[in-house]
Amino acid sequence: MIPSALRQTWIDIKKLRHEPALALVIAAVLVATGFFVLWPIAKVVGFPHPADYLQLFTNERWFQAALNSLFMTVVSTLSCTAVAFVFAYAITRLDIPLKGLFRFVTLLPIVSPPFIVALSYILLFGRQGIVSKQLLHANFDIYGWHGLWLVQTVTFFPYAYAVIYGVLKTSAVHLEYAAYNLGATRWQVFRHVFLPLCRPGIAGGALIAAMNVLADFGNPMIIAGDFALLPTEAYMQMSGWFDLSSAAVLSTALLLPALGLFLANRIWVGKRSYAIVTGKESSLRAYPVPPFVKWGLFACCLFLSLFVLAVYGVLFYGAFTKTWGYDWSFTLHNFKYVSAKGSELYNSIRYALFSSLAAAVLAMILAYLAERRRIGVNRLLDLLAILPGAVPGVFLGLGFAMAFNRAPLELTGTSAIMILALTIWNLPTCYSACLAGFQQIGRSLEEASLNLGAGSFRTFRSILLPLLKGPFLSGLAVSFLRSVTCLSVIIFLYSAHTAVGTVSILSLVQTGAWGGASAFTVVLISIAFAALAATRLIPGTQDRRPS
Amino acid sequence: MFRRWRKRTGNVLAMVLLASMAVLSACGQGNGNGGEASSPSASGTESASSGATASPEASSAPASTKLVLYSALNEDDVIQLKKKFKEDTGIEIEYLNLGSAGEASTRVQAEKDSPKADILVGGSVEFYQPLAEQGLLEKYTSPNAGELDAKFNDPNGYWQGWYMGVLGIVLNKERFEKELAPKGVKEPETWDDLLDPAYKGLFITSNPATAGGGYIFVADQLFRLGEDKGWDYLKQLNANVHHYTPKAGDGINLTATGEFVAGMSWAHDIVKSAKQGYPIKVIVPKMTAFEIGGVGIVKGGANTENAKKFVDWLLTKEVGEMNTQMSNRYSVRPDVAPPEGMQPIDSVDLVAYDRAKAAEMKADVVKKFTDMIGTK
Repeated sequence: MIPSALRQTWIDIKKLRHEPALALVIAAVLVATGFFVLWPIAKVVGFPHPADYLQLFTNERWFQAALNSLFMTVVSTLSCTAVAFVFAYAITRLDIPLKGLFRFVTLLPIVSPPFIVALSYILLFGRQGIVSKQLLHANFDIYGWHGLWLVQTVTFFPYAYAVIYGVLKTSAVHLEYAAYNLGATRWQVFRHVFLPLCRPGIAGGALIAAMNVLADFGNPMIIAGDFALLPTEAYMQMSGWFDLSSAAVLSTALLLPALGLFLANRIWVGKRSYAIVTGKESSLRAYPVPPFVKWGLFACCLFLSLFVLAVYGVLFYGAFTKTWGYDWSFTLHNFKYVSAKGSELYNSIRYALFSSLAAAVLAMILAYLAERRRIGVNRLLDLLAILPGAVPGVFLGLGFAMAFNRAPLELTGTSAIMILALTIWNLPTCYSACLAGFQQIGRSLEEASLNLGAGSFRTFRSILLPLLKGPFLSGLAVSFLRSVTCLSVIIFLYSAHTAVGTVSILSLVQTGAWGGASAFTVVLISIAFAALAATRLIPGTQDRRPS
Repeated sequence: MFRRWRKRTGNVLAMVLLASMAVLSACGQGNGNGGEASSPSASGTESASSGATASPEASSAPASTKLVLYSALNEDDVIQLKKKFKEDTGIEIEYLNLGSAGEASTRVQAEKDSPKADILVGGSVEFYQPLAEQGLLEKYTSPNAGELDAKFNDPNGYWQGWYMGVLGIVLNKERFEKELAPKGVKEPETWDDLLDPAYKGLFITSNPATAGGGYIFVADQLFRLGEDKGWDYLKQLNANVHHYTPKAGDGINLTATGEFVAGMSWAHDIVKSAKQGYPIKVIVPKMTAFEIGGVGIVKGGANTENAKKFVDWLLTKEVGEMNTQMSNRYSVRPDVAPPEGMQPIDSVDLVAYDRAKAAEMKADVVKKFTDMIGTK
């Protein structure tokens, strides 16, 4: 079977002779992505002595941590995907108030600055929490897997949402009408028409959420209590015990489940066609849903929105208080430090902008090549684009620090290495959104264009790009926001001249100046959202298709 | 509409192209600089290593006035050190604040092919040891180290101890007064006081499997009480512990905001949070354990001579006093007064902490400890 597959690959590659320019692009993308994805990961994987990997099975604590990580990935991914679906459905299909708020809530948790958010949860829902103790008088213990489940669901559902939303927005209303006309019940339509067509979106969203959950170490650090997880163990072996070799072993162990998730995802989506954008557009309004469903979903969204707003509200309010989490009297003192760190803020925005743009463009090209062309290396490209998501940010950054510190490419201390690392870190998010988008667009449009004499490039630019504006922009926005507040990837990469805002947050937290840290965070988040809002003012970046 | 979009795509693509060109040219520059900087540094180390026997040749080259420092201290402290060092020696420090010793050590390992730092400062000497074993540190014994207690000097000469931190108890005064004092519980003074069942679920400490401080605490009990009684103590304490945090410092924040009544962490970190206005106080119990904070010169750095000057400077009385005042840590010099709000080191009554034994038994202790707490 393998030889025949190889032969097929070779035949596909040979066909590219007819389009030398395309072949050149493929080669360039393959080499660049392979180099910047595989080489840093290989550096981390290859760091420990091979015998060290045996410890994974002999060290009971680590083995337990691996099981715990798998468990959390399953439960949190399910809940993230469900919540993301509810939000996406409510925003795209229902005629409900407060949609603006809901959209905002699907972006807010993506800005997840280090340290502060986890402590905000404790302040609200901890054993002495404002909500849990003083409002509800409940004796609720957040520390452990259930608390972590809650926090991870809220933190990572926006990643799934970004993918699912893009897909639901262009769902096939005309097919649903056809089904109703043929006598199907609401449930049958939902179950057999609507849901199957959403599969690429749900699968893509779930995959990206699962990768994030699997690699998450910031939330478990504070909230998981005694529930050990692989990324936390890996990070602490490095940070707490100076044992880089064990840390590399543990973070490498995350690659296996990630690979499993990837395969499961690709098998589930399969080879079926999910094309609903066929050029035969209809302008039907979505079939109305019964009021109890509509208001039920509205209530779900509202509840979650209040939850998210409370968490970020505490953070925001804390920026103006004397002693964060204790003395709530008003002060502006905390903002004193921020003004001295203008260049760090500027760097944060600059790097986030460049890296998210680069990731979105690269992801678009990769998704096109992997999904649309038979070029023999489709699966490889597909894997390369997803793989960086499986590595916790710290270790991706570490890989970059080790890989690009000597000839042929010495980048240590430059802005380039910061942007490159963030680009690769953002790639899976953008790629998932673009891929799900491509899977929705019927091939007939392209075929028509090709038959009319347009080449691959022209077809890509004039037909596909305009149709993919939505996924492109949502990937871009998510990447931008998470890059602005990213510390993990850049902790081993920044130099005195390329320090970013999150580094300043780190030093404030170290000093115990939580008020100053949250003031800094508030400024950073505000600038990021202002930048995002500013791009909406540029004509044409807004998605004008009816939703 | 498509045409408009196409035009804009063109613009965007042009922008991206421009940006990438700018980035590429920037890294080209970076390359050039790196190359230039690394060649003199290579010769610099050779002269430095041979300098022990021959007369230093560094005088022929113009003396560098720069020092690149990787720090595991607080940023405020580094800024003050930088200012003072410039005043005293005229050498400009360029620092990177790396959060914790683990990050600093990892970064030096990642950059070992072309070191960017000249010196590492802060963090327990325990993390300098593996770096020395990998050959990443430069050997140097400061003339000022002779006056110090032998335990602060590396017998092999790769690191130098220059401050000392002790483990302490953090107590939330408000919650203690409200909840425990009425029950007749007295403020804890010793490690044994923490076994009082009144603390059940209200005490928090860190996990020895992940946190250096957590391990030093466990080893402290084993040294203090002996093997058998030490484990008994840990077992009894386990009943009171709500959970073991991955990091040594996390218990402080959680106690400061009132989630827990008491916790175990580094005394200087507790004082730091107390100064922010939280209702907490530090208690340094008898027979506590300590860490030695280190400094080490990175092998192959560009300004090794300046790094040596920095080590000498760090061990002076004046700098010792300054550091004690700003960081609330004890100086290694006997003639420097203790940090404000803490007892003099003679009365702290340190446990006989055997560093070599602690390192040797670590794997077994961590395993036994993990089994003991089970799936708490």
